[in-house]
Amino acid sequence: MNNFGVVELASAKTTHAPGWAYVPDTRPAPGSAALPSNRKRAARNHAGLSLSDASARQDAKIRKDLEVLDRDTHKDANIAIPPRTGGSRAQNKHTTNVRKILQSQKTFANHLDDYQALVALAETNPAAAAALNPANAQPKPAPPPTARNSPAPQPTPSTTTSKRSAAAAKRAAAAAAKEEKERKEREAREAEEAAEAAAAAEAERKSTAAPDDNNNNSSDNNCPPTAPPDVEMADASSLLPQAYPADGTILAAYAKPPPAPHAGDADPLLVSHVPAFPTDDELHALMTAPPLSYLEARARWGDDEQRYPARAFCEVCGHWGKVRCVKCGARACALDCLEAHREECVTRYGL
Amino acid sequence: MAGGRKSKPAGPAPPSRTLVLDNGASTIKAGFVTDTATDAPRVVPNCIARDRHRKTFVGSELEKCKDFGEIAFRRPVEKGFIVNWEAQKEIWDREFFDDKAPQRCDPSETRLVLAEQSNSLPALQLHCDQMVFEEFGFASYCRGNGPAFNAYNDVQAIFQTPRTPDTTIDIPAEVMLLIDSGYSHTTVTPIVQGRPLHPAIRRLDVGGKLMTNYLTRLLSVRHFDMRNDPYIVNEMKETACYISLDFKGDLEKTWKGTRGQRSQDYLTGAGIAKDYVLPDSHTRFHGVIRDYEPGVSAKARKGAVSTEDILTLRNERFVVPELLFNPSDIGIRQPGLGDLVMQSLSVLPVGLWPGLLANIVVVGGNSLFENFIQRLQTEILERVPDSCIVRVARPEDPVTSTWLGAASFAKHQHVEKLAVTKQEYEENGAGWIVRKFSAGLGVES
Repeated sequence: MNNFGVVELASAKTTHAPGWAYVPDTRPAPGSAALPSNRKRAARNHAGLSLSDASARQDAKIRKDLEVLDRDTHKDANIAIPPRTGGSRAQNKHTTNVRKILQSQKTFANHLDDYQALVALAETNPAAAAALNPANAQPKPAPPPTARNSPAPQPTPSTTTSKRSAAAAKRAAAAAAKEEKERKEREAREAEEAAEAAAAAEAERKSTAAPDDNNNNSSDNNCPPTAPPDVEMADASSLLPQAYPADGTILAAYAKPPPAPHAGDADPLLVSHVPAFPTDDELHALMTAPPLSYLEARARWGDDEQRYPARAFCEVCGHWGKVRCVKCGARACALDCLEAHREECVTRYGL
Repeated sequence: MAGGRKSKPAGPAPPSRTLVLDNGASTIKAGFVTDTATDAPRVVPNCIARDRHRKTFVGSELEKCKDFGEIAFRRPVEKGFIVNWEAQKEIWDREFFDDKAPQRCDPSETRLVLAEQSNSLPALQLHCDQMVFEEFGFASYCRGNGPAFNAYNDVQAIFQTPRTPDTTIDIPAEVMLLIDSGYSHTTVTPIVQGRPLHPAIRRLDVGGKLMTNYLTRLLSVRHFDMRNDPYIVNEMKETACYISLDFKGDLEKTWKGTRGQRSQDYLTGAGIAKDYVLPDSHTRFHGVIRDYEPGVSAKARKGAVSTEDILTLRNERFVVPELLFNPSDIGIRQPGLGDLVMQSLSVLPVGLWPGLLANIVVVGGNSLFENFIQRLQTEILERVPDSCIVRVARPEDPVTSTWLGAASFAKHQHVEKLAVTKQEYEENGAGWIVRKFSAGLGVES
């Protein structure tokens, strides 16, 4: 084409047009995870994921409805800023940054798209991204994995173990600590008694050994043999209830006097099991972790997390949607509402 | 970065007056804090409104507006973040900087403590910092995580924990789980020693706006077209809606029954149905809620002597706030509030759970729905291990709670660690500030 003689000159001028942005097309669009994403053939694409057995038409309807619900105003009212009556702060000098910000008509969606584009660019070409926007080049081009179905950035042994095994481990650890304490006591006593008569020491040892054996037995009873302790024994001393949480500097230990002892305290059935407290390092890591991005913080269902089917409601009166319109799949509660719906359905889709 | 600056002799002393702003999408909470006194916060609508006579109201001028019929709003804050600075600047100017402003202050002698929502976009944070320093010229500035500011309140007082007179009040609170349910969204934030645990912050995109819009839709289908009256619908939502403790039962009670045989509960109202008298813009400018009287609305509909427009609200009353707990009811693919809490906890060590679950504080306007606390407690109890103690509480005024926390923060020594002076901004640039604020308080050890 000769372009009608128009020669296009390369210009250095860039325009920041509001309302659109270049966005890399990443297939499962993360931005619309909460909304049914694909207008076309949604039913086919979301075969396993679809909340309901809604047809593509209904999916599209839900999507459209949600978009409307998310809007601020029903009509796009363009309210201009009224002129100031007592305009005292009449300074018209803005810095370039401020002028740019004030003139920007971008919406949040535009900013979000920009951000996604920047993140995608930073993944593929970090240098270009940094050059493009030095201030925005956050030191997190590779966002941390979505925490939804992955453990914490710094996974802890206690997060991965089940509650029961953690409790068992705790019990085992406490028992081990008790045992160790008693062994130390015994050793000390032994050293003392070694100076005395050997025969007396021998007898003494037997008498201390007997309750010790008992203790061992009872601790074995406490700890079910099927649940192996999966907290290292080295931690045992730090799990003593006296030093709880384990001498942490971030969260100080409980300093007040303990509650009055009760006869049932030693009863294994009444013992309350407190999970292992996170160490200072874990807390430190959690407290200094960088913020997630806007999209990562959005809660969403995991693949198998939604245990209950979505509830369906009558579109006319709001009661349970027990029956379905054969034409469009909309739900209604009973014949009354279904007929009311039909009138609308006929006008929309024909007979 | 921060350490390098600290070693130098500090510049001028920090300003003695602090403007604390919780710049919400629906209302601004604003007030001044000095070393000695904390003003009560003023709640200003954060919008530019235009009524049907095309008269425009900015911010607190909305008080002068009488007739809220067909009013339209322009809001500078979208999804909790300040997006449109043109409108926001106008509102701030009129509230804080003009000569006749109700809360006048001189930015060059004031520190600004601004509460922002979690997980903001870097570009928006950058804009905010640039506006604060380059346009308004605050002497010192601190932008902090809004939910985390709540930890600087006296949290145990909210729970009415029994305490002896010599108990020290922990400020910030050691461990708490904050649920902030506002106009734009609902977030769950675990907080340890005033620091939000960022990996565990979760957001549900259901807020007051969505619920108002949903109520508008239900009314438009069943009664009149209310789409041009967001203010009236919002008022209706606030006065009439409640959270059901027995959703199935309540829904059953509001069913009209089969054809020919209306159910008895439907005819009597069963304590759920209410008549809502709409404002008529002549004598009444606010809606009034009344007990349901069978036949009244039917008579009114027939155009008898009555001059009142009456809406009978039935299941609309509890179906709308139910969205917080079951967003999938309208097809939002997100978990409800109970599961949201569990998802947030699931990324944290189990050792923190008992502390977090026993200290759940709910703030934000949606927590004013009747039964919110009880329902949330039930939902969480269903999901956590039996031996966990779950305490859920709401501060006296959940709307200004974040502001009060931020005001307490402004007096706390932590503010000195985080605040940035104008001079530092000019030396280090905006990118440095964005990084500094996103690093937060850090942990000293």
